[in-house]
Amino acid sequence: MNWLQVILTVVTIGSIFSVVTLALNLQYARGGMINFGVVAYFAAGAYIYAIFTHPAPEGLDQYIIGLDWPWWAGFIAAGIASLLFAVLTGWPTLRLRGEYLAVTTFAFAEVLYSFLLNERRIGNGAVGLSNIERPIRDWGTIDEKYIFAIVAVALMFLTAWIFRKLLNSPYGRALDAIRDDEGAAQAIGKSAKRMRLQVFLLSAIPIGFAGALYAMYMTLVSPRLFTAEVSFIVWIALVLGGERTIWGAMAGTFGLILLEEVITSLPFESVSAAQNAAAMNHVVTGLLFIAVLRWQPFEWISKKLEKK
Amino acid sequence: MLLLQYIVSGVATGCFLILATIGFSLTRHVEGFLNIAHAQLLGVSAFSTWWINVVLGWPLIPSAIIGIFCAALIGLVIGRVVYEPIRSAGPAILLISSVGVAHILGGLIDTAIGTGIRTLNIDIATSYRFWGIRITDHQLLVVALAVIASASLSLFLAKSRTGLAIRAMAVNPSLAASRGVDVKRTSRATWLLSSSLAGLAGVVLAIIATLSTEIAFEQILQILAVAILAGLGSLFTVIWSGLIIGIAMDASVFWIPAGYRPLIAFGVVIIVLVFRPDGLSGRRSS
Repeated sequence: MNWLQVILTVVTIGSIFSVVTLALNLQYARGGMINFGVVAYFAAGAYIYAIFTHPAPEGLDQYIIGLDWPWWAGFIAAGIASLLFAVLTGWPTLRLRGEYLAVTTFAFAEVLYSFLLNERRIGNGAVGLSNIERPIRDWGTIDEKYIFAIVAVALMFLTAWIFRKLLNSPYGRALDAIRDDEGAAQAIGKSAKRMRLQVFLLSAIPIGFAGALYAMYMTLVSPRLFTAEVSFIVWIALVLGGERTIWGAMAGTFGLILLEEVITSLPFESVSAAQNAAAMNHVVTGLLFIAVLRWQPFEWISKKLEKK
Repeated sequence: MLLLQYIVSGVATGCFLILATIGFSLTRHVEGFLNIAHAQLLGVSAFSTWWINVVLGWPLIPSAIIGIFCAALIGLVIGRVVYEPIRSAGPAILLISSVGVAHILGGLIDTAIGTGIRTLNIDIATSYRFWGIRITDHQLLVVALAVIASASLSLFLAKSRTGLAIRAMAVNPSLAASRGVDVKRTSRATWLLSSSLAGLAGVVLAIIATLSTEIAFEQILQILAVAILAGLGSLFTVIWSGLIIGIAMDASVFWIPAGYRPLIAFGVVIIVLVFRPDGLSGRRSS
């Protein structure tokens, strides 16, 4: 096993997913919204990046739009696409609460997935688009993969920093007030509905950027990469890390991605052994998930730290 | 005529959805959360039925009974071990925990069964024609089972003591407890009942569909759609929304490509929720 490669992958993928976890943390722990379709915004970013940077279709290609624009235009478009998708989905659904919101967002993600799979004109259907534009090249002696990891980490810290600034501002306190007591917050003039929508839209932007980065890293977008499994992984990461803290969200994501990468990079004798390991990976994450939710070890640790 | 044919097969699909959803709806009423792992119980029963029927070579009916028993038992154990200790944590935590349970069950089924598609060792469906419309005996079986299951469930809830306790708990758990309902016992009875219903639906699934290990996940999407469409209403709203979604899905094939069939379920749900945020029943959860 090549440990350096595993660590690099964990850092890169972990940082990209951390951005999504951070956004989800903002939506759930601060905004009180359960978004079970977070993969849709991620996929929107990745696909729009691919469509904007891909050359025009030729030969066997079935997609119809390939703009062949530079990478930075695609990257910006990815953030905007995710934002627009959030407008489209958030505006009609955010008045739903709790489980109804969870199911509707989940439904929207499934709708998008189904479109990407069945509508070949968007991105070749199940085949997907390959050879995605990858702007990052070797810098002198430094290999491309290191730079990629650095960029991913930078995006993560930038997102974390902006969210932190936002939450420590009066705006963040107003959000907490709405989450804790909606009626009281509205009585002093905070529009819960509008603020919830703002948070929803704002948190969608970095998810779109992360999607674009993911597309560059994989050099491929296909519906298989954006199943509901992604939403669940991000949720598990958020719960593992203990909701409400930025560091927790990042730590949970890295822990989970590390677990997955180590399992997938273990050398296996046969295909069936590898399949069993993947299945057991599900079992282990499921068990971890339930245990963390039941005993809440992170809340306990943070309380201990506060007392000291 | 072709459209009518699609509508008839839509009724059969709807009846399967009703079978799959009544257990889910029952836990939602009594335990107060959406149990994502419910569909995996369908998988547990479908695959244990398959295993006993095909690998051990038993006839269908005893295999089905053991399959349902497996699902009921596992559902009860999970209810006791996982959900009971965190009942007070609120519906969001319970919902998210059930995703964990679904992962565990899905992973275990994957390990035990492996990939590939499977069918039960039974006669293939024979179809009958009524005025030019084809109906298979499997479809008739699904409809009959859905009618029997919902009728006996509503009789059980209306007439028996346990049924009364379950209904009391669904309306107001703390009031029910203070009036002498044994909350733990009733909750376990609910788990047993809803898991057996999942088991029955799993057997039906094994009969009407080819089984692969992803099948449980595909079902949860439709179960969620039916349950959310029904809202927190009575058993009859579940029956209505099951039929609506079943017919909408199958009839849609008449106009749009079949690949979009699963999408229709959610299309209906999104449209209904935009106009009626609490589902068809219009009843609000407290």
